[in-house]
Amino acid sequence: MMRSSVRVVVGAVAIGLLLPASGVGQTSTYTPPRTRDGQPDLQGVWQVLNTAAWDLEDHGASLGVPAGRGVVEGGAIPYRPEALAKKRENFANRATLDPETKCFLPGVPRITYMPFPFQIVQQADKVSFLYEYLHAVRYVYTNGNPHPEGPIEWWMGDSRGRWEGNTLVVDVIHFNDLTWFDRAGNHHSAALHVVERYTPTGPDHLLYEVTIEDPEVFTRPWKISMPLYRRQERDIELYEYPCNADLLEQEWNNPNSTFFEKK
Amino acid sequence: MNRRLLSLVTALAVAVAILLVAQQPAAGQAVWARDTPKLPMATTWVAVKAKLPPYTPPRTPDGVPDLQGHWGGAGGDNNSYLEDHEYVDRTTPAQESFVSDPPDGKVPYTPWALQKRMEILRGLARGWPGEDGTRLHVSPGSFCLVYMPVFSFDEQEIVQKPGSVIMLSDESYRVIPTDGRPALRQNGRFWLGVSRGRWEGDTLVVEVTSLNGKGWFDSTGQFYSENTRMIERWRLADANTIDYEVTIEDPTIYTRPWKMNFPKRRVGTAPPGPRGVSIASSLPRLESDPYEKEMWERGCFEGNGPTVAGVRSLGYKWFSGVTPPK
Repeated sequence: MMRSSVRVVVGAVAIGLLLPASGVGQTSTYTPPRTRDGQPDLQGVWQVLNTAAWDLEDHGASLGVPAGRGVVEGGAIPYRPEALAKKRENFANRATLDPETKCFLPGVPRITYMPFPFQIVQQADKVSFLYEYLHAVRYVYTNGNPHPEGPIEWWMGDSRGRWEGNTLVVDVIHFNDLTWFDRAGNHHSAALHVVERYTPTGPDHLLYEVTIEDPEVFTRPWKISMPLYRRQERDIELYEYPCNADLLEQEWNNPNSTFFEKK
Repeated sequence: MNRRLLSLVTALAVAVAILLVAQQPAAGQAVWARDTPKLPMATTWVAVKAKLPPYTPPRTPDGVPDLQGHWGGAGGDNNSYLEDHEYVDRTTPAQESFVSDPPDGKVPYTPWALQKRMEILRGLARGWPGEDGTRLHVSPGSFCLVYMPVFSFDEQEIVQKPGSVIMLSDESYRVIPTDGRPALRQNGRFWLGVSRGRWEGDTLVVEVTSLNGKGWFDSTGQFYSENTRMIERWRLADANTIDYEVTIEDPTIYTRPWKMNFPKRRVGTAPPGPRGVSIASSLPRLESDPYEKEMWERGCFEGNGPTVAGVRSLGYKWFSGVTPPK
């Protein structure tokens, strides 16, 4: 147990050394209010306003997909050649291959930029992310525990948080290799290591920066960034997007469904 | 239950679903000896709480009763069978009814609804007496779906913020506004409904409306409808016990409002009593596990594919709710 945890920590430190600039992001002069526990207060209902859920890279419009500028720093995702081939195959078959079409948990960071609101709730021991999509919940523990010993393959990974100034930094490992980053087929392996940074830049904005590292799939770590917007509606609250329930009911009642064979 | 081990075995939740079809127990599911004394529920709790001294709960900095912490579920037979029953099989030991009112412990269905409820019970195909072999419906709980009031019957952490009470579990959450905002009035329908809370003295009162009527109260077809309103009452009976009561109102399927009532114990403080034997919790437990209080991913739906396909292939129909007569 201890040995494995130490290995994980060393790995995280090494990546930090390799990427002195990538995690820093824009400096913000905004000073957020504090919670009763003394943390920067990021609480509220947030949502993106972009097209990253369809494609992290630059893309034109297609049926049901708005055009958009990519959110990848440097423009292109640095795939290894064989991984790029797989991405292209994924893209060609995305209507059926994307695990999101089966209503599985979409992984991190994808769930952040799905077109649904989410709520941040802070306590002394954890920052909880409540997502409208699938009514999913993710606990980012800030209690000092290291990542638990692996191997563990979780859809949303294991999230450990810390505060750097006003920024919540979340280190996420222990993923499976079944989720995609977007509908365009951008993919990863179970070796994925994600570092998210949530920085308040004003009362109603967070800068969301993510460093993605997976030596089995990418030639180097790469980064995405985007603003998160506080939902302004007076009575904003999360409802449900019970994708799994709706899909099951639809397919259960369809005598010709092939959904259950594929699963 | 050791949460770490539970989480590491990703297929575990799948096994629970199998129980709803056959009576083979599986990892994570408690099994009970035939001679287990009848498990306490509403009747015992109503008698116990009548003798408790008055309790004044602590207050949050906002001045409302402080219900925060990790709270256990109803316990007993894991919400297998809602009304009073004798031993049925090893996952359904003898247990008192959840129903505290009416005093007979029965859900007061209208004649039409009772006929529907008995039809589902006879069609369960769990190998119980009185079944007719039709394989009509299985519990929506077989498919890893989260709904009311079962969310409240299970374990959760309560967190209070100004203007809301938040309930967190290892697979979902509720955010209950207490700021007086209106409920939804039109077409929205949800598994968890829409919750609105208010404080009445020391009690958190939560009205739940906009339910989709697709959930069950137990695993044997005790149902509600789209017209159902649930009024929950969460009150500290002592420092480590929440007196949980929920009133169910729906004149389209019940002859009168009715109530369920049981205690929820602060995790780690449950009093001794008969216990089922769970395969997962019988595994050796780590000393002073630093992760013990953490809630870890279940991925229940994601790992449930083969079970769902298997149940469907047996001919069960999806339960899409009932349509009461006008």
